[in-house]
Amino acid sequence: MSPTNSMSSALSGRNPADESAPVRIAVKDLNFYYGQFHGLKNVNLNFHDRQVTALIGPSGCGKSTLLRTFNRIYSLYPEQRATGQILLDGQNVLDAKVDLNELRARVGMVFQKPTPFPMSIYDNVAFGLRLYERLPKSELDGRVEDALRKAALWDEVKDKMKQAGTGLSGGQQQRLCIARSVAQRPEVILFDEPTSALDPISTGRIEELIEQLRTEFTIVIVTHNMQQAARISQFTAFMYLGELIEFAPTTKIFMNPDKRQTQDYITGRFG
Amino acid sequence: MSEHIVSSYDQDLEDLRRQIAEMGGVAEKMMADATVALVRRDTALAQAVIVSDKRLDVLQREIEERSVLLIARRQPLAIDLRETISGIRVSGDLERIGDLAKNIAKRVLAIADQTQPQKIVLGVEHMSDLVQEQLKDVLDAYASRNLDAAHDVWERDGAIDALYNSLFRELLTYMMEDPRNISFCTHLLFCAKNVERIGDHTTNVAETIHYLVTGETLAGERPKNDASNYATVQPGA
Repeated sequence: MSPTNSMSSALSGRNPADESAPVRIAVKDLNFYYGQFHGLKNVNLNFHDRQVTALIGPSGCGKSTLLRTFNRIYSLYPEQRATGQILLDGQNVLDAKVDLNELRARVGMVFQKPTPFPMSIYDNVAFGLRLYERLPKSELDGRVEDALRKAALWDEVKDKMKQAGTGLSGGQQQRLCIARSVAQRPEVILFDEPTSALDPISTGRIEELIEQLRTEFTIVIVTHNMQQAARISQFTAFMYLGELIEFAPTTKIFMNPDKRQTQDYITGRFG
Repeated sequence: MSEHIVSSYDQDLEDLRRQIAEMGGVAEKMMADATVALVRRDTALAQAVIVSDKRLDVLQREIEERSVLLIARRQPLAIDLRETISGIRVSGDLERIGDLAKNIAKRVLAIADQTQPQKIVLGVEHMSDLVQEQLKDVLDAYASRNLDAAHDVWERDGAIDALYNSLFRELLTYMMEDPRNISFCTHLLFCAKNVERIGDHTTNVAETIHYLVTGETLAGERPKNDASNYATVQPGA
């Protein structure tokens, strides 16, 4: 009689977690402070290349904080600081010498509420490209189309590129924001609850899109929707009170987590 | 296990457990009664066994519907998901156990007027006693999530198979001794086979308990000792 781990073979299905994939982001001894408040406590975690990693945990557990350290978007606020290391391809993004604009082009971010700029669809996508690169019109057009195609929005907007991005539906706006990120050809895309403001159909489209984007980009997603994490991620990290409690392949976390706290949270037993 | 934030979720799972326990009780009683009916050729008791199978079928359907609804409504994960899936599986095994006990009861009706030596029946009775003990132990193990007890049941199934094998040979011998025994012994052989299969379903439940508790499936060969698939007896041998 020998028990086997059924999850590793059958259950992980079409997109098994690839633990041998190279590490794209290595978080080492990361601590984060909002003024006096200790928001992240000694977090150590690896994000694998071209895998979707979901960050889950109750509100205030530090998952969005962790996400916000990867492109140092927190440094817009003077009282927030991080210690430790976040190695993106071996380079510490917390290093003071890091060019933040370049970093944010390499690490794109999509937020909970769609944030299209008050300009045309075309200009929304071209915005970042114009900031960093001087491209001839034809090449710029090509990059915009390419990004919109990758964001599964091209067919819906190709005939109205001059219309305002804010005139699109919520789901389309969110895909427009994804296109804006993708246009920069980032290495990593961060999603902070990207579908919590969307209806189920738009949510399905975004999930489908994330599955496709995974073939090119490393993806980190914060979500409160447990089933969404189970569906679209290969790895899941459970956080609680600023600490990383458990990190494992998603099938392991959702079928048979090691830690009691993880199980209580995902089964809805958290008091 | 602490309670769910949504209390009706706890109630759903509790209802599932309660119905499985009820099914287990009905299945145990059916099997015990079918055996007594066989030993005593008690047709009234056999009729009662046949009737009580209906309750088991109803319970199984309810458990299935309940579980499907629970999955749709609550999208259970981890231990809750395993418990829901285990409930569906175990109810299926218990329903089959009921069918097999019912089949024994039907055979009691067929052989009720035959007067063969009682010793022929004793082997089947003994085997049934062992399997009833297995069934009781595995249902207790399910209710208490007792992995060791489940493994113990799983290991013991080999002995049941061995017993069935020797019973098979014994019944063949009776048939050869006196052709008037053939009808009776053939029915008994089917009864013994039913009991052996009930043992297999009991082993299934033990495997489900392993999955429920550990999240892993039990792999590897079951302890099999049934050689009757290959057994023959030569006349005059």
